[in-house]
Amino acid sequence: MAKTQFIGKPATRVDALEKVMGTAKFVADYSVPNMLVSRCLRSTLPHARILSIDITGAQNIPGVRAVITSEDFVNHSRFGFPIEDMYMLAYQRVRFVGDPIVAIAADNEDILLAALAAVKVDLEPLPGVFDPRLALQPDAPLVGENPREAEGHPRGNLVIDYIVRQGDPDAVLRDCDITVEAEYTTMHQEHAYIETEGALAIPWPGSSGVTIYAPCQSPFIAKNNVIKTIGLEQEDVRVIQPYVGGAFGGKDDTMYQTATQVAKLALVSGQPVQMLFSREESMIASYKRDAMVMQLKVGAKKDGTLQACKFHGIVDSGAYSAITPFTAWRSSIHAMGPYRYQACAVDTDVVYTNNGYAGAFRGFGNTEVCYAIELAVDEIASRLKMDPIDLRLKNCLRPFDTTSHGQRLGEDVAIVECLEQVRKISDWDRRRKEIPQGDPKQIRPGEFRRGIGVAAVFHGISLGAEGKDFAAGTLRINDDNTLTLTSGLTDYGAGSRTVYTLIAAETLGIDPNRIHMLRPDTDTALDSGPTVASRATIMGGNATQEAAMRLDTILLTAAAGLFHCQMVEVLREGENYIGPNEEPATFDQVVDQARQMGLVLSTQGRWNAPENHWSFESGSGKPYFAYHYGAQVAEVLVDTGTGKVEVTGYWAAHNTGTVIFPQGVLGQVFGGITQGLGYALMERVDYDQGYIQTTNFDEYLIPTAMDVPDIVGTFVEKPFADGPYGAKNIAEPGLVPAAPAIINAIYHATGRRIQNLPANLERVLIGKDLRKEGSNTACKLGLHQE
Amino acid sequence: MKFTLLVNGIKMNTEAPADTSLLYLLRDYLHLTGTKEGCNIGECGACSVLLDGKLVNSCLILAAQANGREVKTIEGVHALENDGPNDLQQAFIDYGAVQCGFCIPGMVLAGESLLNSNPNPNRTEIRAAIAGNLCRCTGYQQIVDAIQATAVKRQEKNSRG
Amino acid sequence: MERFQYVRATNVAEALTLLNQPGYKNRPLAGSTDLLLLMRKKPDVCDRVIDISLIPELHRIEQQGNHVIIGAAATFSEVLSNSLVNQTAPILAEACKTVGAVQIRNMGTVGGNVANAAACADSLPALVCLNATARVLTPAEEFNWTVSELVLSPNKTRIPSGGLLVSLQYPIPPLETRGIFLKLGRRNAMAISRLTVAALGRVDISGRIVEARFVTGSAAPQICHFKDVEASLIGQIPTPELMLAAGKLATEEMTELSGTRWSSEFKVPALSAMTARALARVFQISLEKVEAV
Repeated sequence: MAKTQFIGKPATRVDALEKVMGTAKFVADYSVPNMLVSRCLRSTLPHARILSIDITGAQNIPGVRAVITSEDFVNHSRFGFPIEDMYMLAYQRVRFVGDPIVAIAADNEDILLAALAAVKVDLEPLPGVFDPRLALQPDAPLVGENPREAEGHPRGNLVIDYIVRQGDPDAVLRDCDITVEAEYTTMHQEHAYIETEGALAIPWPGSSGVTIYAPCQSPFIAKNNVIKTIGLEQEDVRVIQPYVGGAFGGKDDTMYQTATQVAKLALVSGQPVQMLFSREESMIASYKRDAMVMQLKVGAKKDGTLQACKFHGIVDSGAYSAITPFTAWRSSIHAMGPYRYQACAVDTDVVYTNNGYAGAFRGFGNTEVCYAIELAVDEIASRLKMDPIDLRLKNCLRPFDTTSHGQRLGEDVAIVECLEQVRKISDWDRRRKEIPQGDPKQIRPGEFRRGIGVAAVFHGISLGAEGKDFAAGTLRINDDNTLTLTSGLTDYGAGSRTVYTLIAAETLGIDPNRIHMLRPDTDTALDSGPTVASRATIMGGNATQEAAMRLDTILLTAAAGLFHCQMVEVLREGENYIGPNEEPATFDQVVDQARQMGLVLSTQGRWNAPENHWSFESGSGKPYFAYHYGAQVAEVLVDTGTGKVEVTGYWAAHNTGTVIFPQGVLGQVFGGITQGLGYALMERVDYDQGYIQTTNFDEYLIPTAMDVPDIVGTFVEKPFADGPYGAKNIAEPGLVPAAPAIINAIYHATGRRIQNLPANLERVLIGKDLRKEGSNTACKLGLHQE
Repeated sequence: MKFTLLVNGIKMNTEAPADTSLLYLLRDYLHLTGTKEGCNIGECGACSVLLDGKLVNSCLILAAQANGREVKTIEGVHALENDGPNDLQQAFIDYGAVQCGFCIPGMVLAGESLLNSNPNPNRTEIRAAIAGNLCRCTGYQQIVDAIQATAVKRQEKNSRG
Repeated sequence: MERFQYVRATNVAEALTLLNQPGYKNRPLAGSTDLLLLMRKKPDVCDRVIDISLIPELHRIEQQGNHVIIGAAATFSEVLSNSLVNQTAPILAEACKTVGAVQIRNMGTVGGNVANAAACADSLPALVCLNATARVLTPAEEFNWTVSELVLSPNKTRIPSGGLLVSLQYPIPPLETRGIFLKLGRRNAMAISRLTVAALGRVDISGRIVEARFVTGSAAPQICHFKDVEASLIGQIPTPELMLAAGKLATEEMTELSGTRWSSEFKVPALSAMTARALARVFQISLEKVEAV
C-alpha cells in the first residue's frame, strides 16, 4: 500500500482532551433552567394484563408537571424494528419486570417519588414463560401478540426462525469417523456501560418542536420514533448525541423509549425534562444480550477433516423482539464457524419469554455461537490428539473458498494468517509441549494447573442481508479555513470520530487538526443507519473518504486554476500544492482561489455496501459482502482446589485490514477481550421467574484491572479492497472468540470442557452451577440470610 | 445544613440537606460535574475524589463528613502553569487510555493518588491501585501504560533534580 | 427533605453522649461504606448519624505491653500499612489488603467491619485467629469481649444500643509464629469473600506443632476457632497427609456449625482445599508429591 501521512501512524483521539480534563459533558451533566426531573413507573410483575391506570392521584400533587401513558401517543405508542411489537409506554399488557407503564415529570426528586407512589396501576398477573426451551410448547403461556396458528412471523411465542442448508448433513454425519454432539448454553449478558441511560428534552419556545439530547446509538432512529409515536413533523424534532459513556450495542431500544418519553413530557409540560436511570433501573429495565441454548453436532474424518455440522439454537428474545431477529440471523450464519464442510444445517428459533428482553450487544449473535462451535471443534482436535491450531488450519476458509452458505469468498480471507500469527506470538507450540493435557483423574488435590487454548472467529461485516446498508457524511470548509466533518454514524467511545478525521485528512493531504467533527446531530448529519455491527469504519469511513475525495477534486480544480495548468499536473508536498513550474501554494491560498472561482466548498459522500442476497427459504446465499477474521489464544492458571481461574496471558491476531488509528484498534481489542473474559468467567445475569437477580455492580461482576492480563494484540493488515484505505473493522470480533479461547484453555488445564457460561467457581470446581451468587451489599447488610 | 469545603484549593460554601452525599453536593450544588455517578453504591469508582488526599468513593461519603476538609476533583487536576492537562492527563491522551471517557476522571484521580504514595509502581501495583475503578471500554491496559509512563517520567525528572 | 441528621464527635466521651441522647435513633458513622447503604435500604434504622471517623484516639495503633491496640476508626489502609501490625500480625494486614479496593480501604474501618459483623467481613477471621478482644463502652460501662464472643451471628453483635466499639486489641503472637490469610472471591478485587481462612501456627524444636489456630470466614454463621482442626494438629509432626486430613476435618466442622446448605456442594471441596493449602504454608509442607484423589 502507498505510504500514508496519517493513516496508521500514531495519532491521538480527537476528543480525549476534554475527557481527561473532566469537561466532556454527558447527558447527566447537563442542567438547564426550569428543568424537570422525570422517571417511569415500571412493572414489578413479569407478565400481567393492565386492567386500569389511575394517574389522577399523581396529577393532583403540586409540582407534578406531566403524567403520560400510552394513550398520549399515536397508535398507543407502538414502535419497533424490524418487528413492531414494543410500546413507548406499555399498552394492555406488561411483559417483563421493568416494562415502563407511566412516565412522570416533576419539579424535584421528592415530588417525583410521591407522584410515582400515587399512581394506581391495576395489574392482573398472567402466567409467564421463563424457560426458552418451553416457549414453543403448545401449552406455553402466550407472550407474543399473534396466535400460534397465524401466518408469517411472529406467531405464538415464535418471533422468527432461520435456516441454513447445504447438502444432507445427516447422511454425511453417519459416515464420519468421529462426531461431537453436545449442548451448550450461554446466559444473558448485561452491557454494563459505566454511564447509565438518560435523556434531556427541551421544547422550543413558541412551537411544537423539541430538541432531545440522548446518548443513543442512532439519533436518526430516535428521531423517527419520536416523530412517529408523538405525531410530529420532520422539522419539529432534533436529536443530538452528547458524549456517550459506553454503549456496546445497548443504547438503542431502551434509549428510544427514554428519548420519546422525555420529549412527550417536555411538550406536555412546556419545560425541559431530564430522565436519568439509576444503575438498578438500568440493569432491570434495559435489554441484554440474548441467552441461547444450542445443540451442536459436528462430524469429522479421522484425519481431522470436518465433514458436517448440525446446529439447533433457541434464542431467548425476552418480552420484545428488538433487534434480536437480526442478531439471531447472524447467529445462524456464523453457527458453523469459519470452516469448510460437505454439508450443514442450521435451525434457529427465536422465542418470546418474560425474561427481560434481548437486543444488540457487541458480537451481535456471533458471540454465543462462536463459543459453541469453537468448543466442538476443539473437542474434535482433542479426541484425535491433534493440535487445536493445526485442526483449524486444516479446515478453515481460505481465499476463494465457498462457504457453507454457498458464498464464494474473495482474496481478503485471512484466517490462516491470523492463526499462524497468534500461534507465533503466543509461543503456542512450546507451551503446548510444556503443559500436559489435564486429566481429571490425575489432578492432585488443590493443584494449580496451567492451560492454553485457542479460538478462531469470522464475523460478517456490517448489516449483511438484514437491510439496506449505506452511510453518508458531509465535509465543508468554513470561512476560517477549518473544516467541519459530519457522519450519521456515531462514536460512543470506539473511536470513529478519530478514524473519520484521519481519513479526511489523508485524502485531502492536510493536517488532521484542521478538521473538526461535529457531534452527531440530526440537523447536520445524514442518516446512515444504526451504529452497530462494526460497520462504522468501513461504511462511515468510505462515505467520509468519498466526501473528502469530492472536496479534493474541487481544491485541485482551484489549484489548477491558480497555476493555469491541468489538474493532473498539480503535485502535493505536505499541505502545499505545487504547480508545474514548481511554485508552491499553501492550502489557504488554494482555498481562497476556490472561493474566488465561485466553487462550493462543501461536499457529501455516500457509500452503499456491495449487494448481498439471502434466501430465507433455501437457507443459502451471500449473507455478507465480506468477513473479518481473527484468532485468539488464552493462557490460564486454574486453581483446581477452589475453581478460580486466572487468565495469565492473552494473544490476539485480527484481520483489520489497514490499521487507521493504531491506539484505537488496540483499545478495541483490549476492551473486547476484557468483556469476553467477563462473559466467560464471571458475568451472570440470572432471571428467576422473570426477576433479574443482579441489579448493581455488587452482584453483576465485570472484570477489574486485576482480573485481566496484559494482552498482546496484533493485526493482519491484508488490505481490504472495499474499505477506506484498505481498512476492515475491529469493534466486535475482539470480543467474540474470547470466551471459547478461555474455556478451551481451562479444558487443557483440567480436562473438563465447560459447556455452560459463565465458567464460574462452581462450574469449574464441581461441574455445575448453584443458584444464588450473593452480593457485596446483601452480605454487608445481612439482607439475604444464607 | 451549611457546608464549607475546600474544593480544588478554593473555599466553597453551600447549603444542602444533611443527608446529601459528597457526590451530589459536588455535582448538583457546586456544579462540578466532572465527578460521575456510575452505581451509587461504591462499586464502580466513577465518583472517586481525593478527601484530605485519600482516594474515596464520594457516593458513599456524606458531604457532612467532608465539611471543613479538602476535596480534590478532576477539575482540580491540571498542569501547574495553566489549565491544560498535567503530565498524567497528557499520558492518558498519548497512550490511548481514553475511549468513552466516563470512567476517566476517577481513573486520573486514582492514578494521581497512586503516584503520590508510590512513585515507582510496577504494573501489578498499578492494576491494584485502579482495581476500584471499573472501565468497560479499554480493558485497562493502556491506562496502566499511561500511569506507568508518567511514573517513569516523574522519576527521571526528579533524579535530574 | 432530610432523611437523617449529622453530628460530628471530637472525642469518645462526646460520641457516647451523642449516641445516647434521647429523641433520636443514633448510629455511629465511621467509614460510611456499610451504614449509608443500610440506611438507603432501611431508612428507619437511624435518623441521626454520629460521625466518629475523625476522633484522633480512635485511629491510634500502638503497642501496650504485649498487646497491640487498634482504634476502632482506623481504616483498612491505615492498618495494612502500619509497621507494628505488619511485624506482629501480618495476617491482619493481609486481610485488610483483600478488602474491596483502594477507595473502600481508605474509607472503611476495622472497627466498623467488626461492629457490622457481616458474614463475609474480612477482618473477622484474622482477628479471631489472633484471639483479639474488643473494647466496647457505654456511658456507664466497659465491656471486653473476644471478637468471637462479640459477634453473635451475621450482622448481630453484643454491642448494646448506645454503645461504642472503641478499640480492638490482640496479644502479640510469639516470634516463631507463622501465619496466613487466604481469601477466595469471584474476582481479584471488589469481591465479597466466598470463603476465607486464617491460620497461625508454631512448631517446637523437635518439629512438633505446639500451636495451631484456625478460623474460617464466610463458611459458618459463627466466626470461631475450628477446635477439631486445631486439636488434630497439636503435637503432630506436619506432613502432607496431616494437612489434607485437617482440610477434611474443617469441612466436617463447617457442616456441624452451619448445616448443609445450597452452597455446601461447593464450599466443602473448596474449604478442604483452602485449609490444606493454608496449613501447609504455615507449617512449610509441600503438597506437590501427594497423589491424586
